[in-house]
Amino acid sequence: MAYEQITSHLKNIVGRSNVLTSDEDCNVYSYDGTSNWIHKPDLVVFPTETRHVEAVLKLANEHRIPVTPRGGGTNVSGGSVPIRGGIALVMTRMNKILSIDGANLSARAQAGVVLMDLQVALAQKKLFFPPDPQSFFGATLGGVINENSGGPVCLKYGVTKQYMLGLQAVLPTGRIVEFGGSTVKNVVGYDLVSLLTGSEGTLAVVTEAVLRLLPMPPSRKTIVALFDDLPKSGATVGRILDQGTVPAKIELLDNWVVKSINRIAKMGLPEDAAAMLMFECDGTDEVVAHDSRQVIEICRKEGAVHIIEARDQAEAQLYWKARSAGFAAIFGAAHTVLSEDVCVPRTRMAEFIERVVAICRRAGLEVTVIGHAGDGNLHPSVMTDARDPAHYQKAQRAVEEIIEAAVEFGGVLSGEHGIGLEKQKFMRRTQDPIFIELMKKIKGIFDPNGILNPGKIWEDRSC
Amino acid sequence: MPASPENNRLENIRKFQADVEQCMKCGFCGYFCPIYREEHDEKGLARGKDQLIRFALEGRQDLTKGFYAAIDNCLLCKTCVQYCPAKTRIDHAVTAARADYVAEKGLPLSKRFVFRHVLPNRWLFGAALRFASWFQFVLPRRDGKFRHLPQFLTALGAGRAVPDIAPRFLRKLLPERTPARGTPTHRVGFFSGCATEYMFPEIGQNIVSLLQDLGCEVVFDRRQGCCGAPVLLSGDFATARTMAAKNVDAFRDYDYIVTGCATCSSGLREYPTYLSRTEEERQRFEQFAAKVKDFNALVIDVLSADVKRFTVKPEYQGKTVTWHDPCHLARHQDIRSQPREILRAVDGIRFVEMQDADRCCGLGGSFSITHYDVSKKIADHKANAVSASRADIIATACPGCMIQLRDALSRHKLDVEVVHIGQLFKVAPTPSANP
Repeated sequence: MAYEQITSHLKNIVGRSNVLTSDEDCNVYSYDGTSNWIHKPDLVVFPTETRHVEAVLKLANEHRIPVTPRGGGTNVSGGSVPIRGGIALVMTRMNKILSIDGANLSARAQAGVVLMDLQVALAQKKLFFPPDPQSFFGATLGGVINENSGGPVCLKYGVTKQYMLGLQAVLPTGRIVEFGGSTVKNVVGYDLVSLLTGSEGTLAVVTEAVLRLLPMPPSRKTIVALFDDLPKSGATVGRILDQGTVPAKIELLDNWVVKSINRIAKMGLPEDAAAMLMFECDGTDEVVAHDSRQVIEICRKEGAVHIIEARDQAEAQLYWKARSAGFAAIFGAAHTVLSEDVCVPRTRMAEFIERVVAICRRAGLEVTVIGHAGDGNLHPSVMTDARDPAHYQKAQRAVEEIIEAAVEFGGVLSGEHGIGLEKQKFMRRTQDPIFIELMKKIKGIFDPNGILNPGKIWEDRSC
Repeated sequence: MPASPENNRLENIRKFQADVEQCMKCGFCGYFCPIYREEHDEKGLARGKDQLIRFALEGRQDLTKGFYAAIDNCLLCKTCVQYCPAKTRIDHAVTAARADYVAEKGLPLSKRFVFRHVLPNRWLFGAALRFASWFQFVLPRRDGKFRHLPQFLTALGAGRAVPDIAPRFLRKLLPERTPARGTPTHRVGFFSGCATEYMFPEIGQNIVSLLQDLGCEVVFDRRQGCCGAPVLLSGDFATARTMAAKNVDAFRDYDYIVTGCATCSSGLREYPTYLSRTEEERQRFEQFAAKVKDFNALVIDVLSADVKRFTVKPEYQGKTVTWHDPCHLARHQDIRSQPREILRAVDGIRFVEMQDADRCCGLGGSFSITHYDVSKKIADHKANAVSASRADIIATACPGCMIQLRDALSRHKLDVEVVHIGQLFKVAPTPSANP
């Protein structure tokens, strides 16, 4: 069918104003949060109901048109870039919170709800959906599910898949399916909800989700500890957890970020601190008091040079905002920043960071390491300039070495960002071929014609 | 195509290239952009606009009508800038891109006539509005003071409720020179702005009277024109330069230039950023911009006035007042505390904060004409916040916001009066002021 006919069919399905075709429309759906992956779709479609998704996928499947689902486009894997063109299926207009059920500790919402909007609505009922990817201002629920996102509090609370009860999704062949249910216990057959969670939009288009919620912790406290030595900070994290205290967050910032926090937020932190740990303890007042005491005591014992205890939430917010600003400064520090997402066993974190620093020092590259120290998920960020081929190649080689080191230390190449396009060249090198083969077969069952988010996760030579 | 130096391709965008490249594509702006919150389309988002502009630089995106439509679909409210982790100045990038489009393709027809011929000419603007005002009785009245003005008559709003055109314009009501009451401490130039001149002359009269009581000699120089903000921010830099030249010339000899219009004060202060072509010109604009003060900022920061001397006018006695932060004050000039200081200090009114007081009202100058539907939806949030605050009066310091707020409140059938902060008070004479 000709492009014009497809377009007019799509307009009949979702309505005129929900199909965009101009050059500038296609350009603004050609990228995600990564620096370098860009490919335009041929057209952009905004479904506003599940049956729209059903009809669009039927049409696309019949005519073998690639469909790339997209939420807020905040992902950093290239996963929502329509690398084969076709339709960008933008879910942002399916953004209703359908129900919030305090008695069952669950909520049902459409895929296009922005995570922050969901959190605000839940907070009004003193409820809480723990996964906290730091893109929460732009990320949609569908994206969070498809990337199986996590963030700082995942140390204590786990990642998205631990909070999924049910999913409504549309198969690439155009069939609406309800997976899972609304109960916490459910062992009816294969757990396909977990399979879809983290499938990077390659198996089905998620339209609605039933989420497991927790009561909002009534109290929280922030503690900041600075160390003159990186391995000491790593050992401290292990010691705290080993003693039976699990803070909600343990974040690690290196000297580069400490200095930039001082510059931006004028906080007067010791400039020569090699590492800074930020803790957030949450729970009831008693639990928070107990956990904070433990954290402070162990930090002191392990040789922290400076410990700050936030007096209230307002002061705590200052520290967390400073952390975000320090993190943002990394991206402004160089033209191109290659930010990795490796995850290593936390006992080997310090050793791994030293390796990263050595790799970059040898190559003459500037690097900063921050991350979620509590779960060993680190974001070493190598500063380079894509416009300078020699430098850029050097940086890419360093990144390869960093990822190989992570795998060597018993870790994985991506903790929370996903594979998408960005990391697929490392898949073959680090994974058992049978694992990739099984994934391809599963993909074939869901999507026999390969129309849904093609070209993602594993390298595909057919393109 | 106008013959102007802007004909060098993408000259303005290149000037702000560092701002364009500052965006790290995180997409956080989505949560804060009033337009994206309604449309959910990446084109409305700061990141989307930034990428389009970047693509234009890289040759991936032509300066199509659609490109202009995308970058025109921005309130320049700077909410995204306020929350951007990378502090990307998307307002610079968008304004520059509009200018490059206008330089290459010309202004869209809808804006061309008014910007090029009516706004720059004080007499013609006044005459056009006066002409319109003779016929305003034929237009349907909605609620009391509002009328529906078809676009061809006023270019101010498509079917929206707009205030009546004033029976007498400010220049007929206010002398050129108003002496200070008591010992003069400052000599300030008063910049009226179009809305105050033609729609709300009482705002101008009140402000001048207050300043007079606070020891200022106020000069309302007749050579001034439109501040140029609507023209400048639409990217017609050539016309904006002629307007700027007129205003800079008119206000050469004053310590301060005060205005009650947030858009005017921020617009006047934008001259050096966008309009200067040479270092000499930049310095001249900088000197001018440094003298421009919003009314609230002048009262608090410059005059250090004893606001306890302000007395609430009898009609506002005992009322509950909330404050709406105009984007052009709060985010463009970082003026937030000064009006609150005044409202809190004055006896006779009760000040309450409303939820999201600094949320954009959705006017965005000509945005509300070209995008009235979205503009209305954005204003609805404001109306809901005003309603929840239970205030009797919403005070602000921008006639543009006032037009939008009155329209929104009347649509929501809310009995809340919209006033300029300068209209609320008189100044009690003190012995020191009247020796």
